[in-house]
Amino acid sequence: MSQEKKSAPPEAGKEFDRRAFFAKLGLGSLSIAAAGTAAFAYQFLSPNVLFEPSPIVNAGKPENYAADSVTLDVNSGIYLVHAQEGFFALSAVCTHLGCLTAWKPELGIIACPCHGSKFNRDGQKIEGPAPKPLPWLQTWVSDEGDLMVDRSITIRPMQFVRV
Amino acid sequence: MSLAKTITNYFEELRGTRVWRSVFRSGTGSSTLHRALAVQQNVFLHLFSTKVRTRMLSFSATWYLGTLTFGTFLILVSTGIPLMFYYHPSVPQAYADTKDLQFVVSSGSFLRNLHRWSAHAMVFLVFAHMFKVFYRGAYRPPREFNWVIGVILLLITLLLSYTGYLLPWDQLAFWAITVGSNIASAVPVLGNKVHFLMLGGNMVNANALLRFYVLHCMILPLVAMLFVAIHFWRIRKDGGLYAHQSEPRTVAAQSVAAAAKGVQ
Amino acid sequence: MSDPKDFVAGMDSNARKSPTRVVFVTRRTSAQVKVSDEDQIQTYPEVLFRAVVAVEVLAIALVLVSLLFNAPLEGIADPSHTPNPAKAPWYFLGLQEMLHYFPPVVAGVLVPTLVVIALIVIPYFNINVEAEGLFLKDRNRRLLIFYVASAVVCLFLLFFDVIVALVPTLIVAGLMVLAAQSSSQSSSPFRRYLAAKPLSFWIMTWFLFELAVLTAVGTFFRGPGWSWVLPWRT
Repeated sequence: MSQEKKSAPPEAGKEFDRRAFFAKLGLGSLSIAAAGTAAFAYQFLSPNVLFEPSPIVNAGKPENYAADSVTLDVNSGIYLVHAQEGFFALSAVCTHLGCLTAWKPELGIIACPCHGSKFNRDGQKIEGPAPKPLPWLQTWVSDEGDLMVDRSITIRPMQFVRV
Repeated sequence: MSLAKTITNYFEELRGTRVWRSVFRSGTGSSTLHRALAVQQNVFLHLFSTKVRTRMLSFSATWYLGTLTFGTFLILVSTGIPLMFYYHPSVPQAYADTKDLQFVVSSGSFLRNLHRWSAHAMVFLVFAHMFKVFYRGAYRPPREFNWVIGVILLLITLLLSYTGYLLPWDQLAFWAITVGSNIASAVPVLGNKVHFLMLGGNMVNANALLRFYVLHCMILPLVAMLFVAIHFWRIRKDGGLYAHQSEPRTVAAQSVAAAAKGVQ
Repeated sequence: MSDPKDFVAGMDSNARKSPTRVVFVTRRTSAQVKVSDEDQIQTYPEVLFRAVVAVEVLAIALVLVSLLFNAPLEGIADPSHTPNPAKAPWYFLGLQEMLHYFPPVVAGVLVPTLVVIALIVIPYFNINVEAEGLFLKDRNRRLLIFYVASAVVCLFLLFFDVIVALVPTLIVAGLMVLAAQSSSQSSSPFRRYLAAKPLSFWIMTWFLFELAVLTAVGTFFRGPGWSWVLPWRT
């Protein structure tokens, strides 16, 4: 396919011959194509639509929660706590390896059945292998007067919702 | 330019390292030896012989139809696998997933379209390849068995297309497969049993979809690759591509002249 | 050991190093590949680069089509509602057209099976390997067989009213008659070309022609209820 023409030998550093030019051109196009393919592949593999339950939970009317109570909702995995200072929500998922914890009213603590981690009512760890305290979740009161919790947003502890 | 030189020097050094040489043993170069090694030492390419008769390059002889058919097969595999990431072979989820691929998934419609049009192209090309081989007389001894392998590959291609047709689970798919499977039940004696086994039931429903999915994505591609390997191997063992007396003896004369002078 | 005629005796070349050996090579045991001394070229880069370019051109064409045209997608599968017409994929439309005339056992099972068997046995028949012009040898006998065979086929098709298959058959038969009247000394190059064609060519061409016509009819000329439509009228 190549002609038998002898191309002039490239001058030092300045020019390069036709073969080198086409080689560079080819490699350059391949790199651009590869980069483009990688970008499109990443976009393709990240789903645009998820079929999962919403992280936002409607916990119902504040009146349903007795004063000084800790209520576990197993379906959404949160504790709704009605403390003296107000309402707050904790994640019920143990920070060790993801088991669902349980509230022990007789002991006044939250305990994880899997590896024995224990937390107090504010989510701080008392003992066990869990590395972090139970996170506090974003809580607010909706326009209809319902308590709402967003499980995907964690907040700093000791922020209460007064009703 | 010095940046380019630095990069070039870097790659030269890289190619000299032990690690590189342990992976790529024969090194690069344009000598005849290097070019032969590039084929012979490569697990994917060593099905080819390192040299072929010049006449086999002739485009007018084969129109490269066999290569093109294999090319569409590669496109189909490389678009089909990504499509599997978003497809659940269940009823009615399959239809929803097809719609998702068409409208929601990034690059989804492109992949689906490319898969569909390549499938039609492959069926067309495999027929064209068969007719071209026939009219050239390339089926004659010692190539008879390779022709038979080719007919088998034709049947596998049609089956792949047929099983894939059901997967979108739309009206087109459902009724085309219903009609086709009813033809299968027309086979004397075994017809109804064949129909029942094929569909995993008495009508086209969830079992049929799953069976066709497994056939389309796993069994038939593996069988196809097996026969493609045999097909290529037989080409080599039968003495390379067939060249008819009437076909030109030298092709791309300049390449031959260059080779004769000692490859550049 | 078998018949001595099956052996060819040869001599080892280096009689000094090894005692005289006689080599017996059984005939017809290896692939019949004749050693050729033709020009050869390197697989890499000549063959591989051409293959890559060919596949690239194909890929670009298919990508362009995919960017411009969407694959079809109709409503969700509904077992209670059959669309009208319910057509198979285009490569099966030839078969579906035949289903219009013949019962499923014939059009759906018998014909495809016979076609596949016929394709497979092509290379094993000597008449296909010799490739001489059909009517160049033994002309009168072959012409008679041809007339009888084509009459049978045409009457059969006429009896079942398969006009779409009858027309290509008549055309090919007409060309074969022309071939029978021609020879390598004929006036026009077309007639010389026809005269040189063997039987395998005629049968395959008839098959290809029928396939093309039946598929075209099934694609363009069949509407609701598999009725005959003219595509330019709708």
